[in-house]
Amino acid sequence: MKRIYLDNCITTKPAPEAIEAMKEFTDEKFWFPGSFFSTSEEIASALKVFREKFAVTINSKQEEIHFTAGGTLANNIAIKGILMANSGKGTHIICSNVDYPDILTNTAFFEQNGFEVTYLECDSEGYVSPEKLKAAIRPDTVLFMTSIANHVVGTLQPVKEYSEVLKSVDHKIYYHADACQAYGKIPLDMNELGFDTMSVSAHKIHGPQGVGALYVRKGTPLAQTIHGVNRVDGLNPGGINIAGIAGFIKAMELVFNNFEENSAYLRKLTDYILAKVEKEIPYYSINGALGDRRAPHNMNISFDYIEGEAITMMLDLNGITVATGSACASQGLQANYVLMAMGKNHVQSHGSIKFTVSRYNTIEEIDFVIEKLKSVVETLRSRSPLYIKNK
Amino acid sequence: MQYSQKVIDHFMNPHNVGKMEHPDAVATEGSPACGDQVTVYLKVNEETKVIEDIKFQSYGCASNIATGSIITDLAIGKGIEEAKTITWKEAAEALDGLPPVKMHCSVLAVDTLRAAIQNYEIAKGLIPIPEFSKETIIEELKKVIYPQVGEDIVTLKMVKYAGLDDGVATIDLDIPKFDNFRDNVVEEIREHLEKYPQVKNVIINY
Repeated sequence: MKRIYLDNCITTKPAPEAIEAMKEFTDEKFWFPGSFFSTSEEIASALKVFREKFAVTINSKQEEIHFTAGGTLANNIAIKGILMANSGKGTHIICSNVDYPDILTNTAFFEQNGFEVTYLECDSEGYVSPEKLKAAIRPDTVLFMTSIANHVVGTLQPVKEYSEVLKSVDHKIYYHADACQAYGKIPLDMNELGFDTMSVSAHKIHGPQGVGALYVRKGTPLAQTIHGVNRVDGLNPGGINIAGIAGFIKAMELVFNNFEENSAYLRKLTDYILAKVEKEIPYYSINGALGDRRAPHNMNISFDYIEGEAITMMLDLNGITVATGSACASQGLQANYVLMAMGKNHVQSHGSIKFTVSRYNTIEEIDFVIEKLKSVVETLRSRSPLYIKNK
Repeated sequence: MQYSQKVIDHFMNPHNVGKMEHPDAVATEGSPACGDQVTVYLKVNEETKVIEDIKFQSYGCASNIATGSIITDLAIGKGIEEAKTITWKEAAEALDGLPPVKMHCSVLAVDTLRAAIQNYEIAKGLIPIPEFSKETIIEELKKVIYPQVGEDIVTLKMVKYAGLDDGVATIDLDIPKFDNFRDNVVEEIREHLEKYPQVKNVIINY
């Protein structure tokens, strides 16, 4: 049975071209940079080319790019680096209650260490308005963070408007963005958006796992938070994953060579999922914003009267991978915090299914998925006391 | 997390699923807010007190459906006294085990079966309506499973104090602030105690 994979928010299938691009550095050029040998020089220049190529995709400069071992590490280097370098200027942080756990676990850590955090509340679509940011700013605010595209419902935050709010304040507030769900899906221009730091993950765009990038605007002071032998990058000491970076850059080129076409195709697939559900399955509700206020690869729908883990399990046994916001499928047995913050009730949260597509998915696959989903939903509803009561 | 093949089989093709017309007794436990709810219907032979037919409905995850299915298999054909002695551990074992984080599903299924039997006994005048006391609270706490281990919080000595004063149930828990499952355990305790009309308020300290 060929598996249909619709959980591309978590990770994506590596592009064969990206895996191929890694071979040059695993089979032959396995060397390290950081010395005067020709082998070292070769890796150092390859790295510079990779940084330049990446920098172009976000309209920045190669010296502003740091490769990391993934998005979470990039987020940590930026958040901890900014706060530790600037704690003398203030100890107030702002983010939202629907940000990615990388941000929220960092704020929890800093709360335990003398910082205060304001969590901006989202609306029913998971959107956090710039006015809320404006109202939360204090003289001691040092950092504002946001996830550009929400990881659960795909809602895009008004990142440019946030930047204007931050610029209008008479003291410097650093601006960190988590772009792991947004990079490669929507255009991101560092000159226009005004981020001081931004994190990106390779395996969300068909690159290898364990590779990421951090953009640091020139002149942004970051304290060193990871210590070790300094081979290439003071912010991220130790060895480098040159093969992984090569795979990342290849995957990035494949996306950016056809950027608009790629994003339009993802949007076409998610629009099609919604249209098919509207036609085939009763008693559902859409979670998150629609149209161009939503990341093109995400569609999140709640099915009433039934529970999401049962839906995902049954689809899994039919060779289909999707995700759910149900408590039963979560690590802490709690309903999904993003959906709850949006004002969804427990049943809507437990019954939510997240479909996230990639360019490797097809319309035919979606047809198959909705056909199976229709029968799974009917079967589970026939067993549910809630359905019979409410029908 | 791995489910046994038996869990998968009962999840995909549950036994005795659906609504029963004209049951002798029915009980519903759990709540949609917590993500799982089970209803059990019974038909009991008035003379022999043997469970002649049983059906269940489930709003919940795969293991919720599978445990609902297995308890109907375990209870059918048994006298109500014997059926009352089925434990959640036996139900889990009959499914070749459950992941610790899913043990509460087995507790819920067995609890619903017992509640249905009790409703039958009350309706037939076999037992009086049980009195609510501190012991009831402790019995309910024994049904709250700590998901990391798959054992109840009383056995795990996570309950430091349980008291009842003028309708206010007070529970002191020994559970660290950073525990991943703390909020779930607190929610479960509330769900188990707040269903009693005698409980006006639940105070949980940790």
